Amino acid sequence: MNRVLNLAAFNIRVLLGDPTWFILSWALFALQLAIYGSLISRLVGSNLPNYFFFYSIGLMIIVVFESAEDVGRHFVEHAHEGELPYFLSLPVSRSGFLVAQAIYGVVNTLVKVAPPLLAVLFIWGNLTVSGALFALGALFLLGLGITGTMVSLSFIAFKAVDIYMAVLAGLSALLIRFSTVFYPLAIMPNYYSPVSVLSPLTYGADLTRWVLGFDPKYLLNPVLAAVVVTAIAVSTLSLSARIVDKIIEGVKAA
Amino acid sequence: MSEFSRLLLVARTDFSYFFRTKWLMAVLISLSLSDMLVTALVMGRMISPEYFSFLVPGIVTVGLFTAATDTGRRIWLALREGVVQYYMTLPIRTSGLVVAYIISGGLGGVVYSSALLIIASFAVHPHNILNAILLLPFMFVLATGIAGLAAFFASISRRGEIYWVYAQALQVTLVTISTIFYSAQTISRYLPGPIATIADYNPLSLAATALRDSVFSGELLNATLLSNLLATSLPLAALGALAYWVILRTLRLRGKP
Repeated sequence: MNRVLNLAAFNIRVLLGDPTWFILSWALFALQLAIYGSLISRLVGSNLPNYFFFYSIGLMIIVVFESAEDVGRHFVEHAHEGELPYFLSLPVSRSGFLVAQAIYGVVNTLVKVAPPLLAVLFIWGNLTVSGALFALGALFLLGLGITGTMVSLSFIAFKAVDIYMAVLAGLSALLIRFSTVFYPLAIMPNYYSPVSVLSPLTYGADLTRWVLGFDPKYLLNPVLAAVVVTAIAVSTLSLSARIVDKIIEGVKAA
Repeated sequence: MSEFSRLLLVARTDFSYFFRTKWLMAVLISLSLSDMLVTALVMGRMISPEYFSFLVPGIVTVGLFTAATDTGRRIWLALREGVVQYYMTLPIRTSGLVVAYIISGGLGGVVYSSALLIIASFAVHPHNILNAILLLPFMFVLATGIAGLAAFFASISRRGEIYWVYAQALQVTLVTISTIFYSAQTISRYLPGPIATIADYNPLSLAATALRDSVFSGELLNATLLSNLLATSLPLAALGALAYWVILRTLRLRGKP
């Protein structure tokens, strides 16, 4: 266990050593919320009351999604820059290696999303310890699910990085556009809503909004959302553990 | 072979590399089409039916922007992986190499956005196709300006992945503070004056407005708008060309950037 924590701590030190990405992430969050969020919420008006708050949670989901994507990309880069064989030679089991990656991913996500979340709740006059903790819990679970998906897909990169990047990009565009990240399910056309319920982001976004007190008539059932987000986290992490165990050996550097 | 022919050859090779990068094409096409056919449609239902027609030309402009900024990625990769040393052994002047890259970026942007414009015309009826053709040279100049800006950031990116920090910041800032998602009137009504002025003179706003007014609404081409578009794009192209030229010259003289 100590070795796993050591490995995770090493990755986290590298991550925190360059704060540029965090500062950029917070600054762009603030810019998009202050300009896009405030203007679009005025255009939406009474068609969806409190759209500004709806949008700010959606933006946080995007931050979680992108930071989970980072973990997958980080994992693939390790493989293709030849660092993976070194990590595999360490006295840490394959599952321990995956746990170290997951801890790195959780820290990356929390550092990027916690300050914007607290700032939004503070500005909105809705900052409570329980609300912030439950919202972070929902975002954390969603982040684990997306991380698991990205690491599971990394087996494609072991064959061809180009195809991995294409799959990732296509999947990201579809998962975000077809989800309830920026608009509620009730407003989507009937022909898109069945696709929307297949996106894990739909459940993560609606669960976080419910926890923070958004009008439930625009959201999915919170119990269903919590069950789906948890199931996705558990299943994709188990899948990625199997993949890491079986496919990772013999991966060639680019 | 003349210097100009060599320049065109380098530009053509770089241009074809852009369209042959499969993952990049997947990124661009999936983003543009899902923005147009999902986001614009749903936002139209949430705001008003006219919003869809308003947003589609904006999405075409964003497509042009994304395609043109790929020049920065190619320059950054060439500098990072040392391919630029090979470029400098080619029988072409440094300035020719710089111009070839900027032209290739402009071509990438204009060809990709033209394809998007054709797709968009199935969703929103264009009132004046001739205006779309007349706008192409201006869109090309805009794309070279954006390619120049991307080249500038690629040239000043000294360490690791910092280029991506600049690229992301540039994209979010230029797209957010523009009239792509909301009209100039909405911005000036709700946000401070300086932000409205930046949005007004943002070349992406000017291009989106030209497409909306001249292609999709059928109004005459607005000479002031087009001259503003040229006046804001050309300095960006020049800035990028100068930054890339300085880097290449330093490399030639000192062997390192």
